[in-house]
Amino acid sequence: MPIGAGGPYPRFWATVGRRPARRRPGVIDDYEWPPGERPLRIVVVGKGGAGKSVVAATMARILARRGRRVLALDTDTVPGLALSLGAASAYPPPLAGAVEQADAGSWRLKEGIGPVRAVQRFSTPAPDGVRVLEIGDHSASGVGSVTPSVQAFYQVIHGLPEAKALRAWTMIGDHPAGPRQTAHDWAPYADTLLVIAEPTWKSALTGRRLAELASAREAAAFAVATKVTSSGDAKRVAEIVGLPVAATIPADEAVLESDRLGIALVDHAPSCAAVRAIEQLVDGLVDGTVRSVADR
Amino acid sequence: MKIAVAGKGGAGKTTVSGTVARHLSRAGHSVLALDADTNPMLGISLGVGPEETYRLLAVRQGLDDGTIEHQQSVEALVEAFGVDAPDGVRLVVALREARADPGCICCGVTPQQLLGELEGEGRTVVCDMEAGVGAIVRAGKADVVLVVVEPSVKSINVGARVVAAAAEAQTEVIVVANRVRGEADLEAIRAELGDCETAVVPEDPVIARADVEGCAPIDIDSGAPGVSALSVLAERLVAQPAQA
Repeated sequence: MPIGAGGPYPRFWATVGRRPARRRPGVIDDYEWPPGERPLRIVVVGKGGAGKSVVAATMARILARRGRRVLALDTDTVPGLALSLGAASAYPPPLAGAVEQADAGSWRLKEGIGPVRAVQRFSTPAPDGVRVLEIGDHSASGVGSVTPSVQAFYQVIHGLPEAKALRAWTMIGDHPAGPRQTAHDWAPYADTLLVIAEPTWKSALTGRRLAELASAREAAAFAVATKVTSSGDAKRVAEIVGLPVAATIPADEAVLESDRLGIALVDHAPSCAAVRAIEQLVDGLVDGTVRSVADR
Repeated sequence: MKIAVAGKGGAGKTTVSGTVARHLSRAGHSVLALDADTNPMLGISLGVGPEETYRLLAVRQGLDDGTIEHQQSVEALVEAFGVDAPDGVRLVVALREARADPGCICCGVTPQQLLGELEGEGRTVVCDMEAGVGAIVRAGKADVVLVVVEPSVKSINVGARVVAAAAEAQTEVIVVANRVRGEADLEAIRAELGDCETAVVPEDPVIARADVEGCAPIDIDSGAPGVSALSVLAERLVAQPAQA
């Protein structure tokens, strides 16, 4: 089955024996850029309120503007990444539709749905061509109904590293607060872990724990100091978290304003100090200087 | 009486839990502060310090490498995984993340079980929940849920969902409007959560300083605006007769 032939009505087309030849623009095609360069594969973790979604979303938008295909992955059952990205759709297609119950207590992706197809059908568009895949919003409907979507998301992300059609895609994941997703490998696609931490004890100690939990994985791990107000803050974050600091993002009234308004930071204040710091982080990750600085 | 504290990550659940617990204890109540977050940081807001807070976490994790014995009752768990905090509050790290074993009381215990079994003998339990909405569903019947929100769209969204979940469980709700800097902030919160009783906690540099220093805001200045607003909330909580 050709990639890109999906769309929202696959079963109907299957019955009548034809499919639309048209590929949905901006989803998945023979994207091969930049040639020879490894795409970034990042997961962002940290305490609640540290700024994970803002950092992840801003990085995603910046990279997409530079011509990369970007898949943003929200691992929270109360999704927030789409809002930070400025995505219009509040109701993505329910990912639960991608799985069926294999037997009691176990789920499998439906026949014909692999990670690529799942991204095609269940991700939603955000500005600059970013695609967002969410577990989905289940917070209003009780605990039981979350399971199929959570299972579907878990299986899809574990297929991402081997998904050929997505091999050139940049992937940026946003984990919910707390250690569960980090402890149980909810970012198998990621080779870079960014621990977001404010220069407060709760935030930085949480960062330390996450760094310890993630240390078993073969990912390069860095701290990102957020809400920084003084020159000693980044050093403090580095010391408590126990990781080199890849970026220092200043406390910025524009971030607070965009949070309060529910607007993506890059749209609200494209040249504010926080966005500029995140741009520098993106530069350092793309050209490898973040890694080499950390090695020294 | 059982008080559950919920909301989005970073909204201020732990600060509210710790400060309310300290106020209640100072007012003469026997207080058990239950850290039911898998990322347990309540010790910092209670004033036991960052090192002790991290040590308690390590004790809980010690179950994994066999350096700590498993406990067979909830009261033993309070003994083994707790520490005495200032003003006589007993702090207990309730949950553990890795390799949860439903068959073992100290590993498979839920906030619901803990809240159920630890009440009694005139004890007030303040339970700092995990971020998000799911925790409320698992919290069972607390007498009251404090829903902590700050004036951001995401925090208010999460708060509205926690309120809905609590309403479904027929639990009393008090919204704690946190980090309020002015009338506009309060309006933003009231626009979504206006039907709920609301306690207002103003933005307070003392709380911000406590966060940086890793200490309890009440130990810096119990009369600071945010800290004293939480004192009023604590009085309000116990003024009401605990429901059976």
